[in-house]
Amino acid sequence: MIYGSNHIDLVNDAFWFITGISALLLFVITFLMIYFVFKYNRKKGKKAVNIEGNTKLEILWTVIPVILVMAMFWYGWIGYRDLKNPPKDAMIVKVTAQMWKWTFEYDNGVKADSLYVPVNRAIQVNLHSLDVNHSFFIPAFRFKRDVLPNKNNSIWFLPANVGKFDIACAEYCGLSHSAMYSKVIVLPQQEFDNWLKTELVKKNASVTQSSAVNRK
Amino acid sequence: MHDKEQSVSYLDYKGKHSGIFAWILSTDHKRIGLLYLMASLLFFAVGVTFGFLMRLELIAPGRTIMDAQTYNSLFTLHGIIMIFLFVIPGLPAVFGNFFLPILIGAKDVAFPRLNLLSWWLYVLGALLAVISVFLPGGPADTGWTFYIPYSIRSTTNVMPALIAAFILGFSSILTGLNFIVTIHRMRAPGMTFFKMPLFAWSLYATAWVQILATPIIGITLLLVTIERMFGVGLFDPALGGDPVLYQHLFWIYSHPAVYIMILPAMGVVTEIIPVFSHRTIFGYKFIAFSSCAIALFGSMVWAHHMFTVGMSETAQVIFSLLTFLVAIPSAIKVFNWVATLYKGSISTDAPLLYALGFIFLFSIGGFTGLIQGALSVNMHIHDTSFIVAHFHYVMFGGTGFGIFAAMHYWFPKMFGKMYNMKTAKVGFWTLFVGFNTLYFPMFVMGWLGMPRRYFDYLPEFQIYHFISTIGSWILIVGLIIMFTNFIKALRSKTSYTNINPWSGETLEWTVPNKPPLENFEVIPTITAGPYEYKDNDEILTKEDN
Amino acid sequence: MSVVAEHISEHVHRDDLGSRMGIWLFLFTELVLFGGMFLVYAVYRFTYQQEFHVAAKELNTLIGTLNTLILLTSSLTMVLAIVAIRKDNKFLSIFFQVITIFLAFGFMVNKYFEWMAKIHHGIYPGSETLLAKGNGEILFFGLYYVMTGLHGLHVLIGMVLIGVMTRFTMKGTVNSDKYIHLEAAGLYWHLVDIIWIFLFPLFYLIT
Ligand code: HEM
Ligand SMILES: [Cu+2]
Ligand SMILES: [Cu+2]
Repeated sequence: MIYGSNHIDLVNDAFWFITGISALLLFVITFLMIYFVFKYNRKKGKKAVNIEGNTKLEILWTVIPVILVMAMFWYGWIGYRDLKNPPKDAMIVKVTAQMWKWTFEYDNGVKADSLYVPVNRAIQVNLHSLDVNHSFFIPAFRFKRDVLPNKNNSIWFLPANVGKFDIACAEYCGLSHSAMYSKVIVLPQQEFDNWLKTELVKKNASVTQSSAVNRK
Repeated sequence: MHDKEQSVSYLDYKGKHSGIFAWILSTDHKRIGLLYLMASLLFFAVGVTFGFLMRLELIAPGRTIMDAQTYNSLFTLHGIIMIFLFVIPGLPAVFGNFFLPILIGAKDVAFPRLNLLSWWLYVLGALLAVISVFLPGGPADTGWTFYIPYSIRSTTNVMPALIAAFILGFSSILTGLNFIVTIHRMRAPGMTFFKMPLFAWSLYATAWVQILATPIIGITLLLVTIERMFGVGLFDPALGGDPVLYQHLFWIYSHPAVYIMILPAMGVVTEIIPVFSHRTIFGYKFIAFSSCAIALFGSMVWAHHMFTVGMSETAQVIFSLLTFLVAIPSAIKVFNWVATLYKGSISTDAPLLYALGFIFLFSIGGFTGLIQGALSVNMHIHDTSFIVAHFHYVMFGGTGFGIFAAMHYWFPKMFGKMYNMKTAKVGFWTLFVGFNTLYFPMFVMGWLGMPRRYFDYLPEFQIYHFISTIGSWILIVGLIIMFTNFIKALRSKTSYTNINPWSGETLEWTVPNKPPLENFEVIPTITAGPYEYKDNDEILTKEDN
Repeated sequence: MSVVAEHISEHVHRDDLGSRMGIWLFLFTELVLFGGMFLVYAVYRFTYQQEFHVAAKELNTLIGTLNTLILLTSSLTMVLAIVAIRKDNKFLSIFFQVITIFLAFGFMVNKYFEWMAKIHHGIYPGSETLLAKGNGEILFFGLYYVMTGLHGLHVLIGMVLIGVMTRFTMKGTVNSDKYIHLEAAGLYWHLVDIIWIFLFPLFYLIT
């Protein structure tokens, strides 16, 4: 398995692990509440018993939750760990956020407003903001990272499947925050290379064109 | 009764001033509490209206009833109102003021005039917030978090909103200070700390958080104000300032503020459950200490709101770990409450329903907090509607329901009237169903990737938004049922004279309904703990009649 | 809860210990407030060590030292005023209070000239001279103005407070039996002093 390709699974696992335990506990708590309310209802005319507490129980329901939450922490941590360290050979794309659009720039100077990437290749995005805070969020890949004006964050991911996925802005940035959508377009390596080449040609063409205009 | 004047209710006695001044210049803790109650309910109504309008806008994608700018201002105002004007003062300033002195056997708080001052600061702050809506420039659109740099760029009336929050902070500090001294100095003879009702304990813990954390938000908001006025650069990235530092300062206060909101509500629930089970509380000391533990550890987890800004790995790990640990004292409370129902003699009146509703909804809020505390999951659901659902479960399902529980519990004592019990229960169930219909879909949406503070959304989320909006209608019907029930009771001619309708054992149930000025004719001497029920037989026979 | 009746006769509530506790708590919140500022200072000092170093040289250490001495002396006279009232020497107490106010005024005058000199050199938030400097220096002077400004505001409030106390002492509301208000004003004044003791080295001395 390629390093990082299981990120989505790790997040999903952690989520369902915690949700599962929580649901179970919530069920027990709720069930007991309802059960007690019926069983010990005043209408039944039984006398209440004054129970002041029980230290053993207190210790039990302190220690068990501590163990449970430590397990939850661990699950969350292992899913996060690999987000921090991009592999050395990751392809780097510079992402620029501004109110209210995304721009993606490749090593060779090609710029695009969607993020084209090859499948099964680690992608590192370096995030810059020209104005306020934004956040680079790809729900399908289960991560986001804030894009700040004075701090160059980066994050990486490994798209395992070909397809189109949404990029949203997840940090409130003013009027059109909710329209600040773009797409990740994951292509097979061959198609991606073709795309990049055509874009480069287009770009150079427009450069020569504009310099031609300038000369006149 | 040796002194006639003493038995006149706090609503009726004549003091130095008359007319409206008898109220707005009164230093009587009960009158001040009532003023806070009316003001905060008024703002609650406004906040709910804004929430309703936002939900209506979101019923379908695209523009429905308003433009994006209006929507952005609405969620900002909704947030500011609900946080600073409703939930923060909701329990300490309203019920704490009214009942803390009575619960510990005192005639008033330690500094009655300071108390009046903090009420006036509250009014001033609230007025400023209201004025900011109508000034040219339009209401603030930064979100209640005022994140930099947007908050120094926005051309809307951010300044009045900032100053309003600053002043409200001071009001809250003064209340906290007053309560700490009151609890230390004014307890009736014999009332040791461990004989205090647990509501007083929770107010005590809250008060410390109030005075320790609030100055930080004060200075932070002041700095943003100065930034907007003079462009000093302290937070402006263009001049070298650091927006992330702002976020740290903001959350150093605002996370503990979450506990300012929730602790007193837990206190109310802790009062209600033993009374309606008619048995002693399970694990008194564990509940009291967990209040303090929450106050203590709660001040060390602020950065869990900032996992996505790119902190160092160590910081991420520490804050995540502490976040998980801070859940433990809350869990201990929940277990003790449930255990208190065991072998009780339970009467399911409205206050208990609200208290149990609190436990259920707050538990969901807490469990989903765990989900967000996990680092990898947080990267995905941070700033999505998952968070919106989570904090509504905590703040509304928790504190909000806590406030409603307190209203139902203490209503007869405060007003000498009784509401209709059946209607109260109908109101509860409508609210409960509406609440879950409104907020549960937001968990699902959030997990699927619906970001927060969005005026518009992708079509795939429509079904959830639609259900959620329907939920808001049901919830509002529930609120209307609840409040008309109260209003009807207030307007009815028959006064309610039973001074202890729920057979409680704490001191407020020994004084007349609508307690007189200075509460007690003679200050009681306390010999037993607050929840020692000895009259189990009595209550059963009483129930039969 | 069993309740035993016990009559109490006194209705006027006076609790000096409680009042003192309240004052301490309040001063504590003030400290936390400035603590927030010191935190900001620490973070930026750490980020821009070199530039803070350069900027600090531009402050006038002489005026700073003078002001430190003035404030320290005023703290002393404030203590003396309280000692005097305790010994029931009304006149002496008033005398020391007036001296305290006078010293505070002197502090503000110095501060005024200090700020004015800076402003004449074109160093103030948003000025061209300042904006031409590095970010660290902009932040240093930003902090300088905000923190000394906020402190100056506290000095002004302190002056008003002590002024009111002087009036109370004249009227006899503050007397040898009941001087808790004067004591409160004194504690507040020491707080103002202490904060300056922190500000002084942070801006003037550490270069
Ligand atoms: C009828 C009741 C309510 C409705 C329909 C409602 C609805 C909403 C909606 C739609 C948002 C915007 C979420 C977003 O786009 O990010 C929101 C935000 C918020 N609500 Fe409520 N809400 C209600 C009651 C409450 C209550 C009782 C509280 C407090 C106890 C509260 C506190 C907040 C806060 C703090 C925000 C965040 C504002 C911000 O993001 O700046 N809400 N609410
Ligand atoms: Cu945005
Ligand atoms: Cu928090």
